[in-house]
Amino acid sequence: MNEDRRRRVKTLVVAAAVAVAFADSSIVVLALPDLYSRFSTSIVGVSWVITSYNLVLAGCAFALIPVIGRMDVGTLTRAGLILFFAGSVGAASSWSLPALIVFRCVQGAGAAMLLAGSLALLSALAGSQKRGLAVWVAAGTFGAALGPALGGILTQLFDWRAIFAFQAPVALAALIAAAESHVHPRADSGGGGKRTPANVALALLFGALVGALFLSVLLLVTAWGLSPIAGAAVLTVLPVAALAAHGLGRELSARTSAIAGAILLAAGLAALALLPAVSAGLVVVALALCGTGMGLAVPVLTRRAVAPGDGLVHDGTVTIGARHVGLVLALVLVAPVLSSDLTHGARNAVLGGAKVLLDANIPVRQEVPIVLGLRNAVGRAPRGTVPNFAAPFNAQGAATNAGLREVRDSLVGAVRDALTRSFRRALALCALLAALALIPILLARRRGFA
Amino acid sequence: MTTRTGRLALALLGGAAVALIALELALGAGSFGQPKLADPCTASAGRSGGGLDGTVQRFARAALDGAACQLHTTREELVLSFVPGAGTAKVRWSRQTIDRALRAGLQRAAHELAGSGIAGNVLGFGLSQLVAPSVESLLGQAK
Repeated sequence: MNEDRRRRVKTLVVAAAVAVAFADSSIVVLALPDLYSRFSTSIVGVSWVITSYNLVLAGCAFALIPVIGRMDVGTLTRAGLILFFAGSVGAASSWSLPALIVFRCVQGAGAAMLLAGSLALLSALAGSQKRGLAVWVAAGTFGAALGPALGGILTQLFDWRAIFAFQAPVALAALIAAAESHVHPRADSGGGGKRTPANVALALLFGALVGALFLSVLLLVTAWGLSPIAGAAVLTVLPVAALAAHGLGRELSARTSAIAGAILLAAGLAALALLPAVSAGLVVVALALCGTGMGLAVPVLTRRAVAPGDGLVHDGTVTIGARHVGLVLALVLVAPVLSSDLTHGARNAVLGGAKVLLDANIPVRQEVPIVLGLRNAVGRAPRGTVPNFAAPFNAQGAATNAGLREVRDSLVGAVRDALTRSFRRALALCALLAALALIPILLARRRGFA
Repeated sequence: MTTRTGRLALALLGGAAVALIALELALGAGSFGQPKLADPCTASAGRSGGGLDGTVQRFARAALDGAACQLHTTREELVLSFVPGAGTAKVRWSRQTIDRALRAGLQRAAHELAGSGIAGNVLGFGLSQLVAPSVESLLGQAK
């Protein structure tokens, strides 16, 4: 293999590790129901599998900022990859929820070091800072969008442990690729205040992405009962649209691309909030808008936050911290809203279900066992999951009885409709965050930035 | 610089976003997911199959509507208030109030059934006598 080809392979391998580290923010979402039942925990407990990674990543990124200029970036990247590898192996073999959360923290610390150091490493491997930054930005955008779908496929095909087991060889391959590379950053404080608007916009956009990357997944899998692989199929539209928008971005000025991206992301999230029916088709169209918005705004804002030059690594570390802080803050903001609305939604679901049963035209001899079966279904359902309301109807012969089938579908529909509406305020909050990102983008122009 | 192709693509995407949200609002996004509970004071007992089974169900529904109307609630809230762990309000009325409301409901149901002739009159009276002890027992358990 000639030197040029070897460098290209190394670049690809390191870019894959960068994409996985970005994807890890949301990769576990489709596995949450599995984790929930495996560890018999609470919703808050299982949510820490996601929050811990993002929180530690953001914290470590900010802790690195003052010292990154004095560090050997090659060593930092390799140390990050070793930690990320160890965290992935540990997470894949976790025996309890606390152990999984500890290993997710190790992964987060490794990811912060890897993402900060990889900018300089990719620049060295790609031949220039401009090309290295382009690879880093593309891997980050595509990885973040791909996360939930990838996690869903791995969970359905194998097990939740496969998500982490898959990451370990990626980290190991990148470690081998990085082993022979020596890069030294030029000590510099970076772009300073002039990068702030782009970083604030990125923090708000990544906060908004909680709606597309987390809430939509919970809606599809928990409320609508889709399998992880079916959920992943719907979510695939996000990376596909983001990739398509990457091409469209070349036809637009940086400012137009950022503004259009924020507006489309806000519109997509508003469309998710305003769902008028349980319809995977409408979710696909709304997520396509979110993915397009992400593909237009994130790359251009990242290039504004991290411009090639002396402060490349410093600025890269700041922007990694900013976007993960946005993500964590949005999770903290959205979780109580969703939790409270789901309680109210469950009450509406019970009322809607009672209405269907009271209005039903079913003989009493069938209605009584159905009502008793529904009571048992509620009692048997694991915490945090929607009971199987169809089973008591099926047991009474709904497959061959059109009247019974109609009542069954109406009841299941009433419950799903009420739960779907529960996501409305949380998704609207995410849409608001995307709209707020327009403020720093528009202000940046006045400062001669865009 | 934004090219002509870029402007065209953005116009299409913007139009798609506006069309999607307009379509969702037109399809009833505003009231989606909220149970449409009928006013028990004006609701009819609704359709049911024929025979004694259908008559009993219509009678029970009319009785529930009558009681819910007296208590200024819906029949769904009233039924669920007796179900432990249903997630809705527990019994929040005094025994006497519920007693009065259920008797009024049974009266209304019997009155509605009486509209269908002498047979309905007799059936209405019979059902009232049959249902009342069950209601008494239900109230006893709920307390």
